[in-house]
Amino acid sequence: MTLSARLRRFSHWHEVLLACLLAGLLVVAGILDPVFVRFSTQVELSTQMWEMAIVALPMTLVIITAGIDLSVGSTMALCAVILGLLFEAGCPVWIAAAVAILAGIVAGLLNGWFVAKVKVHPLIVTLATLSAYRGIAEGISLGRPISGFPEAFCLLSRGQLLGVPIPGIIFAIAAVFIAILLAKSVLGRQLYIIGHNETAGRFSGIPVDRVKLMLYALSGLSAAVAAVLFVARRNTAKADVGESLALDAITAVVLGGTSIFGGRGNITGTLLGILLIHETRQFVSWRWNNDELNLIVIGSLLIVSVLVHSLLSRKQPRQG
Amino acid sequence: MNTSTLTSSHPTPPIWRRAIALLAAKREYGVGLILAITIAAVAMVNPAFLATDNIRDMLIKCVPAAIVGCGLTFVIVTGEIDISVGSLMGLLAAVVGLLATPQHVGLPTGLAVLLTLLLGAFIGFINGLLVTVGRVPSIIVTLGMLTALRGVTEMLMNGKWITQLPADLRFLGTGRLIGLPVSLWTAGVVIVASMLLAKCTPLGRRIYAVGSNPNAARLAGLSLTRIKLYVFTLTGLLTGVATVVSVTQVSVIESGVGTGLELLVVTCVVVGGTSISGGKGAILGTVLAVALLGIIRTVLIFLKLGESSVYWERAIQGGFILAAVLVDHLARKHSRMEGES
Repeated sequence: MTLSARLRRFSHWHEVLLACLLAGLLVVAGILDPVFVRFSTQVELSTQMWEMAIVALPMTLVIITAGIDLSVGSTMALCAVILGLLFEAGCPVWIAAAVAILAGIVAGLLNGWFVAKVKVHPLIVTLATLSAYRGIAEGISLGRPISGFPEAFCLLSRGQLLGVPIPGIIFAIAAVFIAILLAKSVLGRQLYIIGHNETAGRFSGIPVDRVKLMLYALSGLSAAVAAVLFVARRNTAKADVGESLALDAITAVVLGGTSIFGGRGNITGTLLGILLIHETRQFVSWRWNNDELNLIVIGSLLIVSVLVHSLLSRKQPRQG
Repeated sequence: MNTSTLTSSHPTPPIWRRAIALLAAKREYGVGLILAITIAAVAMVNPAFLATDNIRDMLIKCVPAAIVGCGLTFVIVTGEIDISVGSLMGLLAAVVGLLATPQHVGLPTGLAVLLTLLLGAFIGFINGLLVTVGRVPSIIVTLGMLTALRGVTEMLMNGKWITQLPADLRFLGTGRLIGLPVSLWTAGVVIVASMLLAKCTPLGRRIYAVGSNPNAARLAGLSLTRIKLYVFTLTGLLTGVATVVSVTQVSVIESGVGTGLELLVVTCVVVGGTSISGGKGAILGTVLAVALLGIIRTVLIFLKLGESSVYWERAIQGGFILAAVLVDHLARKHSRMEGES
């Protein structure tokens, strides 16, 4: 095979582009402000990232099957409030956390049931539960914050193992597991088929409904883990946490090259998407102390990355 | 013999099933019915609910969602979506405030409002352009806009509130014409015009044609690009209209205006019976759904369930969508049974 043919067959241009952007950003940041790129600074800044990053992993899988989960932020709020209320009622904090995680799985299963069994568009289902879960969180907590969690519990987010924050370790394990699942397992292949052509998937014997149920449950689980980490990090549980979580996670996934129509995407892209958003955000805040500029940069980055992609590959089918 | 066995094994469906099917087929009726029952029930518990002042206040609160909902219904009928309307409203609120107040730009109110509406239409047009010519999925385009426009707004506002709006601008929000607030007149005109557009014009029929079968529409010679550009531009323009009649109701403009509006409006359009995959939907359904979801908070207060009950507003809104979705599901099952028997 000649070099040019190899280059043409190379299908990871999007990831390469993102990696170059990220590298460019870090080089510029390093020149402008060497302190920013120090390992200790990065570790400190990373505390802002883990919750969104953990939620973005199952979100990648959901979007690959042509689904979407808008309700993760509300699920996170619901789990945080459940954790807080149980703790307040005298329940040991670890049991409260376990119940919160269970609640997240149940919330995800309900989404999955509506998507897979009632056959409602995932956008509608999760839009409904986006209101419903946050509404329940507001209703049971009456909108007040709960704090005073024990120090040992807070170590879950603040503690470090070999210099890496514990949430980072949880994220790394989840990322490796999901990346292998997606790239190497039968289930991973099945996700792409469902995203490409669900009917064909059904006819080739894929248990589409069961797979979807599992994916949304996984998404709920990730939101619950994010909730536990958030409560441990901030030592507060309140019904307004995670307002922008869903949109941030979806932005990271789509920026990472996963097609919103399903059938295309991978974890490497999502990792790069998460890092690019995180580093852009932190550097703009660090350097110019300007959060508004951040919103503009990230919004534009999202549109432009997909625009470039779609203009370069005209063959991509368009819906609607 | 065979026929009789068949008939006996598939009896005529019970009346409630047929009622569900009818209500699901014409969602306007279903939503209207629930709205009527809710109002009647609350009025029985607390007659003050029907006082003119209260009804007027509730209607005024529904104005922005109703006006934007008309535009968004068309967008969703073409099979696209626009989740940037909330952020756009925030931006336009900042723009109209900055343009009209003497201590900033100080343009004449008429000109300021006109420029704001044009900016709204222009941003809608850009959305449409990115979706049609740029071939970027509309949910991505408007998700990007949702983020970026919020940033532009905060930059414009610079962390401050805009105060001392000129009196003639405040008139749009608080003034009255022939006994009714200007904002209600505006909403009425927009709703009637949208219904006429949908039912009585070639463009309206084309919008539905594009949504129900894009390929057939293209083969019939319709320009998908042009029609989608129209609906996105219209939504931007209507967001501008909603902005100028709603933010002028209070004397200050802050940067958080319109946050979450997109989710409320999409919810209303869907509860009102518009199909998210396009081709089906009615303005009346959207407007009734806006009224139904808009009065929940007031209803909770008037039912005197206690201070804490208003915290359940969003849970009830979510419950309404899930209920609408389940009714659809039951109706589909029912019609499948009908088809088999």
